[in-house]
Amino acid sequence: MDRNSCWNRNVIEQEECPNIGEGEEDLLVSQRVTEKCRDCAVFSADLERLRSDDNPLAPLLSEVLIENSRQKTQIQSLVSFLDNKTLEMRFLHELGSVLQSSVDLDEVLSVALTAITAGKGFGMNRAFLLLNNREEGFLKGYLGLGPRNIDEACRVWDEIIQNDMDLQTLAQNFRLNKLSSEREKFHDVLEQLTVPLSNKDHILIKALDGKVPLLVENAYYHPDVPAELTRLLGVDTFLLMPLISRNRRVGMIIADNFITHRPITDEDMHSLETFAFTVAFAIERASLYDKLQVELNRVTEAGKKLKEQQELIVRMENMALVGRITSSIAHSVRNPLMIIGGFARSMLKNSPESDPKRTFIESIVSETRQLEGVLDEILNYSDSLYPTRDFWDVNQLIETALHDTADTLTSQGYAIGYSPGHDLQAVYIDFKQVSYCLRTILQNDVNGIGDDLTIAISSRNGENGVILQIEDRSRHVSQAELEHLLVPFSETRDLGAGLGLALCKAMLEKQGIPFVVQADVKEGIRYAITLPTRKEEQS
Amino acid sequence: MSRLLVVDDEANIRLLYAEELKDEGYEVVTAATSAEAAEKLQGGVFDLAVLDIKLKNESGIELLQKLVKERHDMPVILCSAFSCYKDDFSAWLADGYVVKSGDLTELKQEIARVLAKKAMKVKADV
Repeated sequence: MDRNSCWNRNVIEQEECPNIGEGEEDLLVSQRVTEKCRDCAVFSADLERLRSDDNPLAPLLSEVLIENSRQKTQIQSLVSFLDNKTLEMRFLHELGSVLQSSVDLDEVLSVALTAITAGKGFGMNRAFLLLNNREEGFLKGYLGLGPRNIDEACRVWDEIIQNDMDLQTLAQNFRLNKLSSEREKFHDVLEQLTVPLSNKDHILIKALDGKVPLLVENAYYHPDVPAELTRLLGVDTFLLMPLISRNRRVGMIIADNFITHRPITDEDMHSLETFAFTVAFAIERASLYDKLQVELNRVTEAGKKLKEQQELIVRMENMALVGRITSSIAHSVRNPLMIIGGFARSMLKNSPESDPKRTFIESIVSETRQLEGVLDEILNYSDSLYPTRDFWDVNQLIETALHDTADTLTSQGYAIGYSPGHDLQAVYIDFKQVSYCLRTILQNDVNGIGDDLTIAISSRNGENGVILQIEDRSRHVSQAELEHLLVPFSETRDLGAGLGLALCKAMLEKQGIPFVVQADVKEGIRYAITLPTRKEEQS
Repeated sequence: MSRLLVVDDEANIRLLYAEELKDEGYEVVTAATSAEAAEKLQGGVFDLAVLDIKLKNESGIELLQKLVKERHDMPVILCSAFSCYKDDFSAWLADGYVVKSGDLTELKQEIARVLAKKAMKVKADV
């Protein structure tokens, strides 16, 4: 061996070694043997010569080179491992960011299952997500992702490769286009994956309660795996990954390599376990957000109702104010009015027919009578603004109205007949208002009185309530004239005569009571009032 | 001659009732308040009372309840500016109800009807 051989010298020139390229100039002064000389023909020839000369340096050199080679391989393996771990950390970081920023349950689940099944993710063929439904007491199959057969797998994976989408885009695409179809596709599997939480012996519940992942191998012969579960999944190896968030059992991921049958390693399991924490937390947060939304909607709804109630209270206060005002009017107007009218009548009664002032007094009596009529109608109208309903007996209602009007009608020569129906149902009405309406109808001042002074009243149970019919054969007017009377203040006569029927109509309609009036110039007027028998019949 | 107690816070109404009802042959005593009515009731027997529902700062309905309790043999007719009380439960204790009007015919008829009813009841009891 030449002592001055290039590999044996400390320092060499660039031209002396063809193996040292540009950028490797540092090797001209050190570490050349382990890095470059090992594969050099000059070095190999010298080493061979050393061996043939039985030089003790030969085995030492060989050993150094072997050890160096072993260490290099180890370093490469470690670097590769570190690279993988770095990629994995980046991937988890990226997923974590997406999951942490989302409060939409479907988005979270889409991201989670896409990450598990995508080649750029954990690369499992298929994944199922089961959620813990505490209210219903079930671990419930919620979503599945993956192909159902080889054909579908080839098609979908080709598509993914061609589109070259990143994970986030894949997840987005899945959520927007495939979530419901995928749920439908795995509907049968998801149904069968649903297990009662009380079934503590079931492997899914055991894994959930155990809160640690479980790699199930040789499932067909596994004593803890029910045969139906193995048949359902169709694989002998699968991973059960409980989703645990702050010690709460959120759900479970079942992942397998249904198509490729690639073995699931412990490393796969540990990687997925790290991911599962983030997923569990994101699912729980999204679920809580959903619940929060529901509660928020309830609170909003309650707020709306409260506002309506407040408005109602204000309205009622206004109505109470209207009541107080009308009460005040009643006292301040009616009392003086009756005093004027009363004394005028008294004077009229005591004045001789020849008294020239008698005409004036008669005018006072007439005007006060008319004003009293107007006042009655105004007070009745204000009273009609807020009906108070309850269940009442129809016969009592009619008899009260007949009793109140009997004297007046009898004095006018009317004959009134009432035919009560059998087993009449109680009616839900404002008694005062309906009673007023009946009195008004019976005593109404519709023009056109004929010879037949008969009023026939009948009642019967109908489909939508109790039908009350009043036939007044004494009033002979046309339908058009009558309908004119049903419009408030449309009458050409002075106020105080003509509002009665219109007010009745308004009062009844306000209570949701149909009021039908038919007039015939020869037959008279027929009123039909359908009194509701149920609360919901009110409008 | 039947003796009537008229309770109303309006002096002119008391005067009108007194004049008109005297013309009808009744003996009329008037009172402006519940206290005055109680005083008058202490002083003698009445066949019937005509009460206004709204007395100044008082309720005629309360006075009605008191009279029904203490003087159950004396019928009461409520007379009010409000027709709405006619169908009010609280007014159902009264033997009659009349809406105030310058035309006292209805009041007079009601008084006659209630007194006749009372007379028939007394006769039946005897």
